[in-house]
Amino acid sequence: MATVIGGIGTSHAPTIGVAWDRGQQKEPLWAPLFDGYVPARQWLDEVRPDLFLIVYNDHVNQFFFDAYPTFALGVGATHSQADEGWGKRPLPDLPGDPDFAWHLARSLVEQEFDPTICQEMALDHGVLSFLPLLTDTDWKVPVVPLAVNVIQHPIPTPRRLFKLGAALRRAIESYPKDRRIVVFGTGGLTHQLHGTKFGTKNAAWDNEFMDRLETEPAGLSELSTQDYMERGGTEGVEMIMWLAMRGALGQSVKRVHRNYTAPLTTGYGLLVLET
Amino acid sequence: MDDVISGAYVFTGERSARGYALNKMANTLSSPENRTRFQADEAGYMRGLGCSDTQIDLVQRRDWKGMLESGASIYLLLKIGAAVGVALPKIGAHTAGMTLAEHNARKGQL
Repeated sequence: MATVIGGIGTSHAPTIGVAWDRGQQKEPLWAPLFDGYVPARQWLDEVRPDLFLIVYNDHVNQFFFDAYPTFALGVGATHSQADEGWGKRPLPDLPGDPDFAWHLARSLVEQEFDPTICQEMALDHGVLSFLPLLTDTDWKVPVVPLAVNVIQHPIPTPRRLFKLGAALRRAIESYPKDRRIVVFGTGGLTHQLHGTKFGTKNAAWDNEFMDRLETEPAGLSELSTQDYMERGGTEGVEMIMWLAMRGALGQSVKRVHRNYTAPLTTGYGLLVLET
Repeated sequence: MDDVISGAYVFTGERSARGYALNKMANTLSSPENRTRFQADEAGYMRGLGCSDTQIDLVQRRDWKGMLESGASIYLLLKIGAAVGVALPKIGAHTAGMTLAEHNARKGQL
């Protein structure tokens, strides 16, 4: 039987990928971010997961507004990289896990979550910015991506994402093969990419969010989408995807690692939890 | 839900419909070939993809704030920015009604 061995909440941002590609990991601006991932990577090396299930959002790179899915599941054997406008990064395609992904599709639909099923799904910085910080880029661990619309309103509610997490757990535990799975929720933390408050963040809310995600996620899931945007920005609302990760972990969790830095326009959070 | 939160536009269906042609044009800039064609003749490229004269003018004047107000998604502004060599800090500052220097000097919190 497959099991959820833990969860990782992490921010994503194009700038992380740019800094990584340029080898800026030890520069003063970036070291607090990159060094913060080292303990998370060590934990992954210790627990040896077989699969990453990543709840993330596309930034109008795979999907466009002609047909923008609320939930979309990547069931392909590989996932290519999207060109976000600056050209592709020097990274190989990611391996998928079609057998597990199709099981997940069936289980989610049985549980009344109905994702768009994608045999081809190009991934953007929503996955590829942080992943090289956590694993070698020969990508030994397959990835099953689950994209959530947090771009074009109406978007799913925080409560819906928390419930999605519980459904992910049930799906994983009904998979007959032995698989040790880490569930990711990625996005945020606070950032505002346009308008009169462009570039501002809210470190107090970011840290409160990470505190409460660990101890009382149900309360966080009862906040409204508007609450999240008022506290964390219209783009920072991405952080609700961490609720799906947390929902997959069950009631009590053990914190393995936590980091927070905010060198540029985004609050970068990292939280590693064990079931 | 409010249409403006934290001084920013909530990208609603209404906005998405209004900015559709501009966003669709910007979405094509995700290949090197199209970026080259766009760079060679911005107005012709945009007209060929159904953008209005107003939208073409906004892009040619690099009026990021105006594009946003007319329904562009910030993520598609970033694609236009990538094609014309302008990155997020300058685009974001413009949407805030500031120069990049003014933005950089500001210490704000959401």
